[in-house]
This record gives sequence, C-alpha cells and structure tokens, in this order.
Amino acid sequence: MLPVVVVHGGAGHIPKDRAEISYVGVKEAARAAYSILRSGGSAMDAVVEAVAMLENNPVYNAGRGSVLNVKGEVEMDALVMDGRTLASGAVSAVRRVANPIRLARLVMEKTSHLCLTAEGASQFARTMGVPEVPEESMITDYARMRWKKNLDPDTNPMECQTGKMGTVGAVAVDLEGNVACATSTGGMTNKMEGRVGDTPCVGCGGYADNHIGAVSSTGHGETIMKVTLSRLILFHMEQGKSPEEASDEALAYMKERVHGLGGVVVVDPKGVWSAHFSSLQMSWAAAQQEQLHYGLYHGEDFTEPV
Amino acid sequence: MRPVIVVHGGAWAVPDALAEVSVAGVKAATRAGNVTLMRGGGALDAVEVAVRTMEDDPAFDAGHGAVLNTDGEVELDALIMEGRTLATGAVSSVRNIANPVSLARAVMEKTNHVMLSGKGANLFAESIGVPTLPTHALVCEQERKEWEQYKNYDIGVKELFRAQWAHDTVGAVALDSCGNVASATSTGGIRYKMVGRVGDSPVIGSGGYADNRSGAVSCTGHGESILKVTLARLILSHMDRGKAACEAVERSLRYMGERVQGGGGAVAVAPTGDWTACFTTERMAWAAIHGGILHYGLNPREKFKETLK
Repeated sequence: MLPVVVVHGGAGHIPKDRAEISYVGVKEAARAAYSILRSGGSAMDAVVEAVAMLENNPVYNAGRGSVLNVKGEVEMDALVMDGRTLASGAVSAVRRVANPIRLARLVMEKTSHLCLTAEGASQFARTMGVPEVPEESMITDYARMRWKKNLDPDTNPMECQTGKMGTVGAVAVDLEGNVACATSTGGMTNKMEGRVGDTPCVGCGGYADNHIGAVSSTGHGETIMKVTLSRLILFHMEQGKSPEEASDEALAYMKERVHGLGGVVVVDPKGVWSAHFSSLQMSWAAAQQEQLHYGLYHGEDFTEPV
Repeated sequence: MRPVIVVHGGAWAVPDALAEVSVAGVKAATRAGNVTLMRGGGALDAVEVAVRTMEDDPAFDAGHGAVLNTDGEVELDALIMEGRTLATGAVSSVRNIANPVSLARAVMEKTNHVMLSGKGANLFAESIGVPTLPTHALVCEQERKEWEQYKNYDIGVKELFRAQWAHDTVGAVALDSCGNVASATSTGGIRYKMVGRVGDSPVIGSGGYADNRSGAVSCTGHGESILKVTLARLILSHMDRGKAACEAVERSLRYMGERVQGGGGAVAVAPTGDWTACFTTERMAWAAIHGGILHYGLNPREKFKETLK
C-alpha cells in the first residue's frame, strides 16, 4: 500500500471551459511526488514538490495564478506539517515569492517559530536568499479579469468566488510510514488586504500526525477555520473511522453547522486514502501501487498506469 | 444557568516581583467580566471586557505591557470566538493598538473574514476609527530596559531567556445565563520574536475555541507547541467525549509535554458550568467567578476563595 500521495487543485465551482485543464496539473504533480516517494524520498519532500509544481502552474489559485485582493495585489498563505515530529511551518499574507510552500518549509527548518506573516515573512525570505519576483509575473490575465469583474458593486458575493478553483494541497505517506501535508493558496478573490484564511492555520488548512494520518483542506476558508476541518477529520479517524467516513462526516458537519462547502484529501499511515468534497467539483489525483487515480466531479475515479 | 467566567494571565515562570500584580490583575479582570454577566450581558461581551482589562494593565504582555520583537517594535495577536454560531475574529501581528481583542471582535462583526494580519489589520483598524498609539505608550520602561540589556546577547542566551519569559498571554472563557460560551485570547507574543512571528493566540483551535456543544477554552504557554497539538481543539475533543474540564485540560497538557516537550496552561468551561484552570508551567495567575464566589491562584494546586461583596 505504501508509498501513496494524494493531490488536490482546489474545491469549488469552475466553468466547463477550464475544467479539462484542471485535471492535467494535479496528475503531473501526483506523478512527480510518487516518483520521489518510490525512490525512497520522504513524505515531506513529496508533498512540497507536488505543491510547488501546482504553484508554478498558472491554472491554480496558488503562487503564479493566485487570485487578487481588493487592491489588485497577490497575497499568499501556505502550510507544511511533518507527521513524525508535528513540526510545522507557515507563511501568511506573503507577497512576491514564487513558491510560498518552500518558504513555509524554511520557517519550519530554519527558525524557532511556526508562522511568519506579511512583511516579516518577506524579510525572512530575503535573509534566506529567496528571490523576490515581480508582482506582475504572478498575475494572470484570468485573475485580473475576475478581480475587475468582482469590483462591480452589483456582483453577487457568492457568485464572485466561483470560476476559480481554490487552494492546492497534497498529503503523502512514504516508505517508512511517515506522513506529511502541504497546502498553498492565493486565498479568496477580492479579499481584504491582510486577510488570512484557513490554509496557514495548523489544524484548519492541514494537519499531519504519524499516529493518525494527514489532511489537506480546500474550500470556503472562513468556515473551514470555524470547524478546524483538518483536525476534526483526524479526531474522527482517531476514533476508528476510515479516511472516507471521517471526511464525509466532517464535511457534512461543516455544511450543517456553518453552511460551508469544501473538499479534502486524506491518508492514514497504512496508505488508505480518500479525496472527498461537498462542493460541486474538486480536481484531485492520487498515486499508489503504480496506478494513477484522478477525478473532478462527484463519483469520478479514473485510473491509468503511473 | 449560573454564569461562569474564568481568566488567565499567562502560564510561565511568573517572577515573585510580578506575583502580586498578576493575581490582582486577573481578579480585577474576572470581576469586570462578571459584572457584565450579572447585568445579563452575553459571554462574548464578558470575555472581551475581561481581556480588555488585562490588555490595559501593564502587568501583562498584551496591549499595554507588550514585549518587543527583534526590531524593538510591538506586534500583537488576538482571537475571539462565540460558541453559538462559531463566529470568530482574529488579528495577527497588528501594530500599536491598545485593545487587539476588540479589533478581533470587529473583524468578526464587520467583515466577512476571520483573520486579518500585519498592515492589512492596521488598515482595517484605521478604517473603523481605532487609534494607533506610539510604541512608547504601550511599552513599559522595564520592558525597554530588558530589551536593551539583552539584545546584544548571542542566540543561546536569547533562547534561555525566552524559555524563562516567553509565556505571557492573557485570556478568558465564559458561560452566560443563556447557555452561550465564548473565548478570548490576546498577547504581545515573546520577546525578541522575529518580525511577523505569529504564535498560537490568534489561531483558531490553538489559542482558543468556543462551541456551545462542547465548551470554551483559552490557552497560554509555548506558542509553537500549542499550535503543533492544536491545544484548544484537543481539550474540547476530550470534553466532547465526556471528560470533565479539568481532566480534559490535564490530559491534553500532558500530551503536549510528552509529544512536543512544550509547557503551558489553559482555562476551560463546559456548557454545564464545569470549569477549570490548569497549567504545567511553574505558575499561572488565574481567577474565576462562579455562584458568587471568587476563586484564584498562582502556584500549582493553589485555590483560594473569596465571597464577592
């Protein structure tokens, strides 16, 4: 059953013309992460690599391709967590770095802190020699178009979040049985400056514990936070639920209690995995036992050899 | 339902010189929160008032009395949560405002977000008319001296120093007469923290959590360790499964000590009114009012009682 990696490209509602391309990137990321794992790489290396690939891909709302805040700027959040030691690293509202997920990992490995925010995160990036990239290079025409459209006072606030898939993330178990998670996002479109969502919050955007499993979440950030979605799923798994049952139960609770939709990818230390969502769609891909699984709509599970 | 309020002034090695003012501070905060509850105010109002009282008291590292980061600046974190709807507001790394807990409440009530950070949090504060204060108005003489004295020491000394002085968050939980619970937490973080460091306090499920179905918690202690175990949510998961507040907190703090070698403390209240204040650090100033009795303590297993006049 080991190793295994499960990747998502965000839960939400995307137009048909963009649906097809959202499969491609998650499949590539799952393949790359799986090859790291198969050659003995760690779960942490695998999830960071998968998420960095999705950050570099302009189709997804993370890194290049991130949505814009109300001022038309890019501010990003990211989190990594290592299930062996519970070591974690996060950045929030960080600007002008190509791969926030790698910066989050540096926070974990090079500081005695867990989360750095805003200008402090940029200062840290400079001291680590992480190159500053021009804001323009991160902004796609599509993101700018959506931002402009949403500035219209007649925009329906719920409608305005559709048309762009959310956060990206990955969970993995390596050959030694270590689990890890990574999540990265540009947040929600036309958000206030400095808005921090669920992604960089431990237990909300992700959680990893070798004793239970790993989760990466996506969806409506504010409601994910209110139920600490990732930690909630792992509490259910601690009580003996499978990743699938635990995801469904927690997503149903989030919908009932705070009217929020979202999706999750989950693994347990034995390699049992799931990719579930309460939103209309979530692009996801998983690699295990030389098979690549992927899907976008409910009930889909296409397979092909890795 | 008999209302309950429990507050803490931070779990750490409170030095003797600060012992008396810390206990006086938490008692005053508890009384302030209790007045709100007795007048029929909600749990959310009570925890905000209690935390504001401590933010205004220079004895505590929150609001007035905050510590300085490596650049000699004040950056504050706060979280407030309401257990009926799970509505939450938080600010992280906000600079130079007197009452971060009230700004967190404004994020909850006036925006459709849960957390604002850094400059964005300050811009929001300005937009709703919250004044920005000069750093010297928030930082006491003693903190400036300590900061000057130790800033040239090498990392090793800083780490040692941190271990001694790191843990000085304030927080409160309450249960009101309608059965609603709430939690609030506020901090200046740890001295010599990196610019932009966010600890557990503003992070939902770590620094605090409130849910009418299971209870409310506010945590304090080594922030990075609290985050790793999502301490507030962990405590409530035990209470959800029927553990008494005291046992849930003790069990979770023990787990945090074993798994990530972190010390800390928490105050918690269940929807039944069962409450606790526990810590694994040397000391934690805490106080509670329940049924007209003021309870308080500072050292392990200390529990004094006073009848409210």
